[in-house]
Amino acid sequence: MKRYDLLKQLAALVTEEDLVVTSIGGVKPEWYSLMPGNGTMFADLLGCATPFALGVALNLPHRRVVALDTDGGMLFNLGALCTVGNESPPNLTVIVLDNERYEGVVGCPPTHTSGRVDLERMAAGAGIPCTATARSLENFVESAAMMLSDGQAGLLVAKIEPGVFKDIPPERAKESDGIEDKYRFMRHIERLEKITIRPRYVRE
Amino acid sequence: MEPRLASLVIEGLKRAHVRFVVGLPDSMLAGVYVAAKKDHDIKYIQVTNEAEGASVAAGAWMAGGRSVLVMENSGLRAACEALARLGLVNGVPVTMLMGYRGDLGERFHWGVNHGMTMEPLLKALRIPYWIIDREKQIIPAVTRAVIHGVSSLYHTAVVFRTPLVNEGK
Repeated sequence: MKRYDLLKQLAALVTEEDLVVTSIGGVKPEWYSLMPGNGTMFADLLGCATPFALGVALNLPHRRVVALDTDGGMLFNLGALCTVGNESPPNLTVIVLDNERYEGVVGCPPTHTSGRVDLERMAAGAGIPCTATARSLENFVESAAMMLSDGQAGLLVAKIEPGVFKDIPPERAKESDGIEDKYRFMRHIERLEKITIRPRYVRE
Repeated sequence: MEPRLASLVIEGLKRAHVRFVVGLPDSMLAGVYVAAKKDHDIKYIQVTNEAEGASVAAGAWMAGGRSVLVMENSGLRAACEALARLGLVNGVPVTMLMGYRGDLGERFHWGVNHGMTMEPLLKALRIPYWIIDREKQIIPAVTRAVIHGVSSLYHTAVVFRTPLVNEGK
């Protein structure tokens, strides 16, 4: 299963009403090329996508929130699994794109998930109510669709092949930096929720 | 921190419309965690480390739920990478409330180093901070730290020193 093919399927399952938080790595340009709208926060920190998405989900319990995390990101901050498990917001789905590699690093050294580590079992042990591992595109679509609609916190490990999609059209290339990404996401939520997050004048 | 003072922290948070207290329990601000858990207008989220806590607080903030991260000042060291990325790369603010372990007169040998590194790290990350030790400073410092985070889109901190916090035995 290639990451880009998986993301194409996921893009068909989420809507402009949903919010997505991505990890760093190859997922960012690929997801942007498929979903260039403002509903995604492109986090720039390893280990941040899932806890950041948890914060979003807890504040907006009526809205579906997806964390697009990675094996490297999850291993960097395993405690986040426990906080997700304890809080278990029913509107949060964590998808771990597990290529068993630090793909952005020269030589693509393996992560611990290439050995004996099983993130799905760790998530279940952390108390996350719905967990699964997908090893094919069909499996992934079935599990992701279920988790996005079952009203439970979920974590889906997607075992993917290493590799980066190289044919993103130039007009779909992500050029924005972290500040622009922040404003786009924040203004998007302000419009969706009809709220003001950052007012011109901050009152008590 | 005794309950009466912790209630002032909660009052300061409410004046700034804070809805989420994210924390990793510590002795110095123990009363704040208890008060936040009991309060019906505030959601308390316990995390496993301060870097995770910074990310949770930032996510809640970005979705419109003002938040603070409560911790001992040693947690600043654990949170530095998350704070650097969230603040310098994205400009998403995290307001921190922390106890001043390692202040002059620290009684525990293991706590001294927390004081040695706290202010240099806050300065390195260009985080505006207030160190307070009087009861009447609590509400305005907490409220204004949150407000400054919203207006500056950058982190802020309030550091509580004795006699406002428990030193422990």
